[in-house]
Amino acid sequence: MVDHKSILEDHVLGTLNRRQLMRGLGAGGAILASGLGSRSAYANGGEIRLAWINHVDTLDPHFTGFLGAVKIHNNIYNGLLKVEYDGKRVSFVPDLAETWDIRDDKVHTFKLRPGVKFHDGTPCDAEAVKWSVERVWKGTPKSPHAWKYKELASVEVVDPLTVRLTFNKPYAFLPVALTGSTGRAGTIVSRAAVEKYGDKFGRNPVGTGPFKFVSWRENDSIVLEKNPDYFEKGLPKLNKATFLLMKEASSGVAAVLSGQVDGMSDSPVQFVKQLAAAPNLKVYGEIEGNYIFVGMNCMRPPFDDINLRRAVAFCLNREIIIKQAFFDQGIVAYTPISPPMTDFYDPNVAKSGRGQFLDLEKAKAFRAKAKNQGTVEVVFLASEQGTYGTRLAQTVLPMLEAINIKAKLEVVERAAWVSRRNARDFDMFDANWWADLDPDETVHPEFHSGAPWNYPGWSNKRFDELVDAAQVTLDVAKRKAYYMEACDILMDEAPIAIVSHMPVFKIFSKKVTGFKYIPVDSLNLHTVGIG
Amino acid sequence: MLLFALGKVLQTLMVMMIVSVVSFTLLKLAPGDPIQIMLGEEYSPKAHESLVKELGLDRPLVEQYVHWIGNFATGNWGVSYVGKAPIFQYAFVEALPVTLTLAASALGLAILIGVPLGVLSATRKDTAWDAVSAVFTLTATAFPSFYLGLILIWVFGVKLGLFPTLGFVPPWKDLWGGLMHMTLPAVTLSTYFLAMIVRLTRANLIETLQQPYIAAARARGEPEWRVVWVHGLRNILMPLVTILGLQLGALLQGAVLTETVFSLPGVGQMITQAVLDREYAIVQAGVMLTACLFITTNLLVDLAYPYLDPRLRPR
Repeated sequence: MVDHKSILEDHVLGTLNRRQLMRGLGAGGAILASGLGSRSAYANGGEIRLAWINHVDTLDPHFTGFLGAVKIHNNIYNGLLKVEYDGKRVSFVPDLAETWDIRDDKVHTFKLRPGVKFHDGTPCDAEAVKWSVERVWKGTPKSPHAWKYKELASVEVVDPLTVRLTFNKPYAFLPVALTGSTGRAGTIVSRAAVEKYGDKFGRNPVGTGPFKFVSWRENDSIVLEKNPDYFEKGLPKLNKATFLLMKEASSGVAAVLSGQVDGMSDSPVQFVKQLAAAPNLKVYGEIEGNYIFVGMNCMRPPFDDINLRRAVAFCLNREIIIKQAFFDQGIVAYTPISPPMTDFYDPNVAKSGRGQFLDLEKAKAFRAKAKNQGTVEVVFLASEQGTYGTRLAQTVLPMLEAINIKAKLEVVERAAWVSRRNARDFDMFDANWWADLDPDETVHPEFHSGAPWNYPGWSNKRFDELVDAAQVTLDVAKRKAYYMEACDILMDEAPIAIVSHMPVFKIFSKKVTGFKYIPVDSLNLHTVGIG
Repeated sequence: MLLFALGKVLQTLMVMMIVSVVSFTLLKLAPGDPIQIMLGEEYSPKAHESLVKELGLDRPLVEQYVHWIGNFATGNWGVSYVGKAPIFQYAFVEALPVTLTLAASALGLAILIGVPLGVLSATRKDTAWDAVSAVFTLTATAFPSFYLGLILIWVFGVKLGLFPTLGFVPPWKDLWGGLMHMTLPAVTLSTYFLAMIVRLTRANLIETLQQPYIAAARARGEPEWRVVWVHGLRNILMPLVTILGLQLGALLQGAVLTETVFSLPGVGQMITQAVLDREYAIVQAGVMLTACLFITTNLLVDLAYPYLDPRLRPR
């Protein structure tokens, strides 16, 4: 038997890992050379100007809901921990902390760096850390990230530079909760500044990071300047960073191609090939922790019928979707666990028969078992999605006809889409979920019974038990086994039809040096120089 | 005169009231709410509920409106829900000058090029000149401005690298930088008006040049340039100014697209973003500013009539 799945996966993986992408630039050797060059020739000083095509809601890390804002936060603030990447796997290492000790699974002790000061001159000591943690944990107004500290029992100051977090039960998600891309519940902010600015702290952010906040003009720009007292010696390299806020990605593309800006915070898939072909630019992008899917409403007919959902799950031709809707960017997904979650990703998933994939025979067999044997008419709720517009919905619709589902596409603007999705006013919808690099945030709040982001309204007792157990298990092999079983149940019952994992892009001019790519959609300018 | 002025002011206030009620209601009736957007990926019904209360969005519509208009009238425009941007600063100090600069540049450009072109077409009626100008004006009218903007960006910004393609530089701080940044947006926004002015000038001038007093002027032996540019043109200013005043709406509408394509932080972008985010207070501020601009311009047009046409001056 020909193993289409593995051929397909080799194919897409082969064309999409980062090294290949660069080779696509015709610059295998050049990259090596410029890589070496950049190490020796880190330029000091200078200003970087970046086209910022992501939405920025607030510069208060404890209240943001957008990754586009967190990318900026990371340059203003530090956390207790930070994410590092060696090109193969991510790790969580102390940032403001000097050491991080775990005693008996529930007690985490952080010894802080001495002498660190906020941009306003106040000290960042154990008291400051305790206050910041409590602001997220139980402050008013309530932080949308408070759930990350749900099992926190206490936070204590042991001595001026030591702080201890005690949890009710072991908390496997903690390192990610502290550093995670959306929210960074472990981000430490200046108490003096929060008290001074009140609810306007988000427009007057004060942290300990490599850059200080200068100004924010709506629809225009956010400007940061070098923090000369930053605790990592010799950093940052740049004197100034300007993020030019724009809604139209094509404006950013024109600006970066013509050299008016030194980079772009992101790029929609349709521009990537053009940008990669430009001789003055370098494109960074690897598969990150995310998945794109078609969700089905399990709470009402017709998709309360498990066999109809399964038919959908097996009828989608992911290869064609990636080609048509995502301009060849992305890899086929079999379960929600994406490759950079190295401890939990199943490298053999393509060959194992696990998860969901294209198999029309199977789809038709499930369809034959469905309650409604006539033509099923459904509403497909769609909206402009930042990275791929409405193209996913448009590509999926004709595929559903093979199993006699007639979907009516309703394209609405974003705000209406959000409110209809939240109210479960749809039969099908498409979405992209950008999670942290941990399976917990990838499946728990999305699919646990009654969880806040469980828009399909699916519920399974065994699944709940497994993901709950995984939350309090620190042993990686055990956790992995829990998630394998949980994902198998999830994919089998198919509240969603999973489609793909996507790369996330950063574009830089070749005169920008020292950028360290980290696959959690971060754009840290600490080590970046411009020459 | 005083009575006239008072009447005008009252009329203006009435119109503003109606505008504010209509825009307030329309926006509230649109599906979607600011809090679901504000919470982004961190949405939960609980968080939603507490924020609705905090922002006073659970109160009856009428109460919300009265609350808003009271604050608005006393200059307390508040802050945006999400970014906590001070709205007065955002709308009035930051966004409005950008849009005014853009609109003025576009209009200035359209008049400077459009009027002479119209005169040329009128005085050389039914020649090749006239035909070329007709083709040009029709194309310019029909061409979508955002598309023209993208083409200009591609050709003059990316390929030739002559002009910057994004952002706003205040010309009163940096004249050269300001002009360079404003060139492509102004050209983009002006084409529609340029075409309109050319056609208007042509049609009116042709008619005017057939009037007896023009023949009289020619008979007096006045040079042709004086006949056309002084006697002729002066008489077409009235219809031109009237139409331009009325077309201000179209200008502001075009500004929305132009501002988005060229990433200019003006009122157009402000309103679009605010509508998408359901930032009710910002939309209201933007609508009021625009309405105010519209009314003021047309008031100025009214006041300009006596200067343009001596026959309308009070005796």
